[in-house]
Amino acid sequence: MRKSKQVWIFIYAALGVMFVYNLLPFFWMVISSFKTELEVISYPATLLPNEFTTGAYEKIWLQEGFLLYFKNSLIVSLSTAALSSLVGIFAGYGFSRFRFPGRLTLMTAFLATQMIPGVLLVGPYFKMLTIAGLYNTLFGLILAQTSITLPFSVWMMKGYMDTVPIEIDQAAEVDGASRLQTMFLCIVPLVLPGLVATTIFAFLLSWGDLLWALCLISEQSKQTITLGITQLVGQFRVQWSEIMAATVIASIIPATLYLILQRYLVQGFAEAAVKE
Amino acid sequence: MRDYYKGYLFILPAFLLLLIILGFPAVAAFLQSFNLMWVATPSFTLGSYKALASDPEFLTSLMNTVIFVTVVVSSHLVIGLGVALLLNMDLRFKWLWRVVAILPWTMPDVIGGLVWRFMFDTLPGIVNSVLLRTGISAEPIDWLGNPTLAFLSVMLAESWRGYAYPMLILLAGLQAIPRQQYEAAELDGCSAWQKFIYVTLPNLKHMIIIALVLDVIWESRLFGMVYSMTGGGPGYSTQILTLLSYKQYFQFFNVSYGASMAVVLATVLFFISLPYLRMSMRQQL
Repeated sequence: MRKSKQVWIFIYAALGVMFVYNLLPFFWMVISSFKTELEVISYPATLLPNEFTTGAYEKIWLQEGFLLYFKNSLIVSLSTAALSSLVGIFAGYGFSRFRFPGRLTLMTAFLATQMIPGVLLVGPYFKMLTIAGLYNTLFGLILAQTSITLPFSVWMMKGYMDTVPIEIDQAAEVDGASRLQTMFLCIVPLVLPGLVATTIFAFLLSWGDLLWALCLISEQSKQTITLGITQLVGQFRVQWSEIMAATVIASIIPATLYLILQRYLVQGFAEAAVKE
Repeated sequence: MRDYYKGYLFILPAFLLLLIILGFPAVAAFLQSFNLMWVATPSFTLGSYKALASDPEFLTSLMNTVIFVTVVVSSHLVIGLGVALLLNMDLRFKWLWRVVAILPWTMPDVIGGLVWRFMFDTLPGIVNSVLLRTGISAEPIDWLGNPTLAFLSVMLAESWRGYAYPMLILLAGLQAIPRQQYEAAELDGCSAWQKFIYVTLPNLKHMIIIALVLDVIWESRLFGMVYSMTGGGPGYSTQILTLLSYKQYFQFFNVSYGASMAVVLATVLFFISLPYLRMSMRQQL
């Protein structure tokens, strides 16, 4: 399709608007985090820091315990992503490759669980974890977040595995491979981009969670980074520059992950969604 | 294949795990809302639901949720479709535009709420600073202190943060439209607008419904953004159902009452998701 010059100017102008709109909050967050305590609360706000300082980061990272929160968040999100991806591989393979009675009903049930709001589960979950002695543990939080991520992981993995021709399974069977061997040695390597997308998606969901951590963690030393940040707000000894430094730290991991792996995520997302 | 029964074994870990960590608490919440579980003397009562009907805070939150979801999802679909159309063109630096388009979505909603809260801050916020410098408003505006403005601000913030999810679904749909259809339309002398109306939209119908339903579900479940941006205030002008249910359960310990609100929300979401569920199932047949 050929487009005239005016049309292209309009297209790039629209992209320019999107660029500014999307990046402005990031710009503001990063700029504010490098301002001094005094400058960050001055009116009207300065667009660039008059005096550039990393003091907010030092204070957040060392004094406010964000090193620990960051570590907790990493543990919880990595474990949640790993657990739901591993279990998701098995279930995805089961749904994609076997035609057993009740398959459709089970798949619908898995899909329907994605629609359940976390706020319905979190109350009873609090009670369950208390009874099981898992309240205020990272393990309990990992289990809880898996309830949100697992239904997605199962469906995403199933979608990716559906794109692999069944002949590959049949060839492996002829060669004497068991179903488990076929799954891990033949199918999983072929859907690696999809597995990456599934894992990242679960990681991002878990990393961004506030509700579960808020309700299931009581001790400061076990807080995740999102919970840690919300606890900072409203404390008078904490300045906006420090809160913004904390938000930069909390945003870096998901943004970086995305930048490195965006090709897989978009491609994988497209494959899973378009397949009809 | 003959060994179809092995399928059950592959599903089993996920099934058991979900039964324990999702099925059980969902049923428990349901029973709690009728005062049947984890209470000294279980007795069936509709008390919580009756109280909901005459609780102004609940009714306001319900109304807020409906408005919030309607406005945010509409804006997501419009922005998402626009950006998806742009990204589907033969652009220079395509990867750069794609990264920028999706970046807001990588920001956790709690974090987004805090950043926008600071942007809208009365004195040191960037919004008032820009308004002052450009001469649009000489007086600083109290964005998050005024009920109407606060609600608009929260909706704006979530419009910014969440549109990439429907956008990716729509982009995937656009990429699946056969080029021949556009070429045929061009031969028939269709303008760009006519091609959009008669080729793009009909092909995209399916994906638009998926994006619509999924985004409604996501936005109805939203919690962190509002919690960190306004906490539901001022008053309860920005309070949404998830936030109110959480407060009733964990701050006021009205367990049955909080659960009943969550049950209402879950029931509504279930019915909204029915067309999507049916559509997905038909694909699997």
